Amino acid sequence: MEFLGKYKAVYKAKAGCEDILSKAQDGGIVTAMFAYALEAGIIDGAIVAGPGKEPYKPEPMIATTVEELFAARGTKYSISPNMSLIKEATRSYGLDKVGIVGTPCQIQAVRKAQLYPIGLRDVPDKIALVLGIFCMENFPYQGLYQMVEDHCATKIDNVTKMDIGKGKFSVYTERGINAQIPLKVTHKYEQPGCHVCLDYVANLADVSTGSVGTPDGWSTVFVRSATGEATFNKAVEAGWIVAESMDGVKPGLELVTKLATEKITKNQKYLEHRKHAEHAALKPLRNPYI
Amino acid sequence: MSKVVEISPTTRHEGHSKLVLKVNDEGIVERGDWLSITPVRGVEKLAIGKTYEQVPKIASRVCGICPIAHTLAATEAMEASMGVEIPEDAYLLRIILQCANRLHSHALHDILALPDMYLPGTDSKINPFSPAEPVRSVAKRIQTLRMIGQTVGEIAGGEAVHPSNPRVGGMYTNITPRARTKIYDLAKQALPLAREQMEFMIAIFENYAKRDWAEMCGREVAIPKDLGFHQQGYMAVDPCYGSSSLDEHPTWDPARWIEVRPWDWYMGEEDITLEDPAYPIGGTTKAGAKAWPQMQACTGVPLYDGQPVEVGPRARLATYRNYDRKGAIGQNIAREMEYMDSVYKMIEATDALNASGKVVADVIPQGDGSFGWAANEAPRGADIHLAKVRDGKVEWFSMLVPTTWNFPTCSRALIGAPWELAEVIVRAYDPCVSCATHMIVLDEDNRLVAQKLLE
Repeated sequence: MEFLGKYKAVYKAKAGCEDILSKAQDGGIVTAMFAYALEAGIIDGAIVAGPGKEPYKPEPMIATTVEELFAARGTKYSISPNMSLIKEATRSYGLDKVGIVGTPCQIQAVRKAQLYPIGLRDVPDKIALVLGIFCMENFPYQGLYQMVEDHCATKIDNVTKMDIGKGKFSVYTERGINAQIPLKVTHKYEQPGCHVCLDYVANLADVSTGSVGTPDGWSTVFVRSATGEATFNKAVEAGWIVAESMDGVKPGLELVTKLATEKITKNQKYLEHRKHAEHAALKPLRNPYI
Repeated sequence: MSKVVEISPTTRHEGHSKLVLKVNDEGIVERGDWLSITPVRGVEKLAIGKTYEQVPKIASRVCGICPIAHTLAATEAMEASMGVEIPEDAYLLRIILQCANRLHSHALHDILALPDMYLPGTDSKINPFSPAEPVRSVAKRIQTLRMIGQTVGEIAGGEAVHPSNPRVGGMYTNITPRARTKIYDLAKQALPLAREQMEFMIAIFENYAKRDWAEMCGREVAIPKDLGFHQQGYMAVDPCYGSSSLDEHPTWDPARWIEVRPWDWYMGEEDITLEDPAYPIGGTTKAGAKAWPQMQACTGVPLYDGQPVEVGPRARLATYRNYDRKGAIGQNIAREMEYMDSVYKMIEATDALNASGKVVADVIPQGDGSFGWAANEAPRGADIHLAKVRDGKVEWFSMLVPTTWNFPTCSRALIGAPWELAEVIVRAYDPCVSCATHMIVLDEDNRLVAQKLLE
């Protein structure tokens, strides 16, 4: 499983509590994990993509209670620079054990910061739980806005949920599913930076999760590190998470592997292209797999 | 016939300095010159033309031991020039920061001062890194106190070294209630440790004061009872925090201050005629070499009422608490006595802090070029920054840092001491030399003079 990174176990899982599931994107794993970790004292605050000033424009926030955590449920398909708060969390917020959720690139940044803590004095040892989410690509807010307002002809203020799945970008309002557009249409709105990324399932996180591979309402969970394993198992024991084996689940790991391979080979091609590009700004990036 | 001995560099303090001492046949100092030989930082010139937001950040980079003092003094000098009044909660956060700085700096000094001292009742000097008791637990206590000081600095200031949170107009962010609790808990943890540390160190210093001799260069050197005494005055602006030209009753007066050149103050070129290879760390400078203090000194010589003055813990206690112990030991004891104040003040300020209060002034005028100064009582004494800000840009900036004041004063305190113990006197000032390097621009008549030493 070259493109899925190293993992100790993989599960089909969802949150054990209806409150989380009601507004969660899929299985509510990130909210449930952080909520459990907060209650159990494994972390004393988590950096999450909170609601911003404009609808579906996420802003990083530090949640120190389960209520604050609940405000950040659900995916917002735009950029939330969670790493920008990692230092502040240990400073004016006074946290000793910080949890952070992020896309694969953000998780790479977390690990890099732990390895070379330049400008992050006394931060690395305070990062207690790192949750990664699967990510194919991300959209700048203006791009997302245009997709919703123009292509889907929906006022973004009325949107209750956005979802990407089965090759479609879907927009839900209170009246139910309002519009669906093929993913192909959205490609031009992607961040260019996403095209050099060679990580689909947050290989460096303690636990990474995403909807791909499991039925609706469930999430696929990769448990990767010892910390991640301990926390996840305890969360399952405590009933915050319901976990089942991935065996026989359709579409299962096959689909995860397929999408990961798709993303990475596509981006590798783009990297290859950049290698021969004349513009200096397009120089190739380091391959995280070596 | 007097001889000249040079101790270069002096050790166990921050920065790079040296001692050039004229001694008589008994080895007693007749004239002592203690001078900074750290290269000039040039911060004051770098500041010109920068925005008022940048300059305090640049100024703090002058040194890594008390960047908090420099940040606060420079920030407040900008505020003083521009006439900004900061909210109460920002002021409280700055006090917490100030106390955190003092706590960790004094603890660090203990490590540097201990190797000169003796374990009471014995003739063995203290090695602070020794694994044996009681030194082991003292070293651990010092580490804990420093950890607390640095952590509180991180929370209130954003960063323990070069704090990022202070800004012109207050602070960037207030702290959360949880962080406030954490500071409170840390200060509570520091309280008994600081008391134990203070009592231990005072006992050690008192023991040294009672001794007749100290072992130096493999021989017994008599300790005079007036080790480090001087007749200069004291200058302090506040027992804890500071003062600025915005205050109703400023406690420092720029009109009483002038600065002269080392050229006019220090000795001329001297041949070194006395050497002692047994002096710690490689011996003193070889005889036959030359020393030229007036040319080599990298500081200005600031005078207050025409005289060098002492700044620092003893100056604060003498000015505000009627402390009257003189000499090197008196100064060390005064420093130890400040431990408790810095912790209590931290607790008081944390108590008073409203974690949801605003910390940035509503109005920040951009400055009309008027002169403003701010003095911050850094661990080593009054750190005074002077500035003129016009339309958001710094026109003129000057730093009068504690050890600059102490250089000429300490040089006078060396007189009458055996030269082998000169460094003990220097260390009592807890010198922090790198920020003290400073090129001067005025002569005794307040005229602008050419910077002859740079030519």
